[in-house]
Amino acid sequence: MTHLADTPIIRVENAAKAYSGRLAIAPLSFTVAEGEKVAVLGPSGSGKTTLLHLTAGIIHPDSGTVELGGHATSELGAGEESASLVGAIHQQYDLVGHLSVVHNVLAGRLGRWGLLRSLWSLLSPQDLGLAEDALERVGLLERLYERTSRLSGGEQQRVAIARLLVQDPRVIVADEPVASLDPARARDLLILLSSVASDAGKTLVASLHSTELATEFFDRAIGLRDGLVVFDLPVMELDRGILDDLYHLEVAG
Amino acid sequence: MIAIRERRPATRPGLVRVSAIGFGLLAGLAWGQVLAGGDSGAGDLFRGDTWTRAGEFAGELLGLGAEGESAFVDGALWQNAIGLSVETLAMSVLAAGIAGAAALVSFLPAARNVAYGELGGSRRAVGVPGYMVLRLLFAFTRGVPELVWALIIVFVFSPGVLAGALALAVHNYGILGKLAAEVVENMDTRPARALRGAGANNFQMVLYGVLPQALPHLLTYLLYRWEVIIRTTVVVGFVAAGGLGREFRLQMSYLHYDEVALLLICYLALVIGVDLVSAGLRRLAR
Amino acid sequence: MRAVPRAPRIEGRGLLTLLLIGAVGLSALSVPWGGDLVHPGGGSAVGSIVKALARVELSPEFLRITAYAAWTTLRFAVAGVTLALAIGLPLGVVASGVLTRSGGRKTASIVVARFVLALLRSIHELVWAWLFVVAIGLSPMAVILALALPYAGILGRVFADALIDVPEEPLRALRSAGASEIKLLVYGRLTIALPDMLGYGFYRFECAIRSAAIFSFVGVQGLGYQIQLSLDDLLWNEVWTLLIALAALVLLVDAWSSQVRRRLVS
Repeated sequence: MTHLADTPIIRVENAAKAYSGRLAIAPLSFTVAEGEKVAVLGPSGSGKTTLLHLTAGIIHPDSGTVELGGHATSELGAGEESASLVGAIHQQYDLVGHLSVVHNVLAGRLGRWGLLRSLWSLLSPQDLGLAEDALERVGLLERLYERTSRLSGGEQQRVAIARLLVQDPRVIVADEPVASLDPARARDLLILLSSVASDAGKTLVASLHSTELATEFFDRAIGLRDGLVVFDLPVMELDRGILDDLYHLEVAG
Repeated sequence: MIAIRERRPATRPGLVRVSAIGFGLLAGLAWGQVLAGGDSGAGDLFRGDTWTRAGEFAGELLGLGAEGESAFVDGALWQNAIGLSVETLAMSVLAAGIAGAAALVSFLPAARNVAYGELGGSRRAVGVPGYMVLRLLFAFTRGVPELVWALIIVFVFSPGVLAGALALAVHNYGILGKLAAEVVENMDTRPARALRGAGANNFQMVLYGVLPQALPHLLTYLLYRWEVIIRTTVVVGFVAAGGLGREFRLQMSYLHYDEVALLLICYLALVIGVDLVSAGLRRLAR
Repeated sequence: MRAVPRAPRIEGRGLLTLLLIGAVGLSALSVPWGGDLVHPGGGSAVGSIVKALARVELSPEFLRITAYAAWTTLRFAVAGVTLALAIGLPLGVVASGVLTRSGGRKTASIVVARFVLALLRSIHELVWAWLFVVAIGLSPMAVILALALPYAGILGRVFADALIDVPEEPLRALRSAGASEIKLLVYGRLTIALPDMLGYGFYRFECAIRSAAIFSFVGVQGLGYQIQLSLDDLLWNEVWTLLIALAALVLLVDAWSSQVRRRLVS
């Protein structure tokens, strides 16, 4: 499955990112092999979202490099190349509420469609079969033509996954994908996300609040605190002590 | 590290208070000048013969006491009036259509977040000056009233339905453009920016992420403006010589007040009709 | 075979768009397209109009005239709007029904108030102006009334709706705190609805400036009157100055309005 087993699909080298003079991500490095499932853990404000956005190429590092599939993210523009490499899913607001589900799902093809085709698809959905397959996979085929804003939060997240299926990237970056869902739906969504990744050998990098979910669905956990990597371990090696160190509240004074 | 949040500045009622006082002063000055000037007409309101004159006038409107037949029973006059009403309606629809189309093609670059590249695309050099030019254009076209535009347009176009429609369209273009741009500026842009992750370029981001939300608003605003436009067509037609407006002018110059009243009835019917249709269409647009 | 839902046929909004395009097309038919649509001198008129923009009239004397005309127009607008508020606010409160207890009298008063408001605003201000001028002659009060009456109708209706739309929870709190006086309810509603009402009031003020400018065509001093003078002499450079002054006046009020509203909302 992997041709060059030692070429990681994600390579972060001394990447740092600052916002208004404050360092969100201190220079850090790690690599992710293709097909791995990595959970990013850490308290609020630790820089998880920034790290994930850097990994997805949504933002670029101020110093250092982030490489996806051998290409630096700062050189990947819009279009087919970046679409087939990486896709993202967030906690909410990924989907355009005013559009129907089919258009939101087919938006995964935008990287490969020209402008005219994108326009025409709004009137007559192109590659409809892809959308149908994806929605069937996430169990929402019957909502194909409904207005997306009418779906529940959990259903909308599943539509976002369907969009990822249509987009078919090698890497999926998920920023708190289940933070808005109740525990039962959260588990269901992670079962879906995890199997979607495994089925196609995709790499999955996700930030989570819950360490139970991390241990259940992921292979590896990176702990982030104040923009620094506190640990980078196989999920089995996580224990109480390590987690407490990660999440403990700093007492003032 | 814990980010130190800046203290929110205490609400300064200064501007509001100053504005209220300022406006009060303005009002005082305005009314002072009106009432102090001897010929303000305020006294006239309460004179006895003013009311008799008003009464006579009302009578004339209803066609009483005029020589010959009352206008209300003249079938030909009604037919003429209805024909003119249709013409006036056409003028209003044409004006709304032109204004809407023009606003449609120019509202996006006039939105601050699009022009400044806040949607996540690169900030294009052409965005900011384009934004300023468009906003100025909106301000100028809507600042000048339709009637004035009509006066200017009849220097170029022959008086008629088109001249009237253009005058109305120019003024309403500025209004619609500003409203539509503001819709985009107030929009939640996260769904649009999320499309970038799917590999969308700037155009696709706008097409899938901005337009689906903005266009229904634009449509609703257009329909609201149509209600205003139909009321103004009569006035513009006065000057640009189209529809009911032209006939108003004619009959007023003949002092045929009862025919004027007939036209007023048609005008009211048009206004109420358009209000109803517009409300119905707006419900469709939801 | 899996069950794939059927694609919907053109829904409400698509139908609406098609209808509208059709309507516009139809209206275009009523225009007598052809040679004499444009004036024989039309082309050169456009030329002189555009060229005059470069030579906008800026002599101190004319600027003084412009400033005075602008001030006159502003005066009329302010007088009209204040009168409109004086008439429209009370009518609006009655039309909203927040002061009366339910029952026959309440429905009657609401209906009557709403009818009066609708009647006031259905008639265009210029039509009102004409009615007043014929009835009481050309005078400032005729113009001010012609502005105030339709604006009262519009403002009254908007205020009534704003008062009704106030959410229940804050009012419930006031009521349980002993504000059984319905008047206190009004104050509760007023403070909550104030930003929107103020915003709309300012917008009406902006419109009033335009209306006042138009009224001045009738002969009362103001920007419109001056524009007509300059137009009659085809002095396009003066026309541009006056137009810019008018647009600037409107813009100033617009900017003032957004500043005040921003302070109120924060």
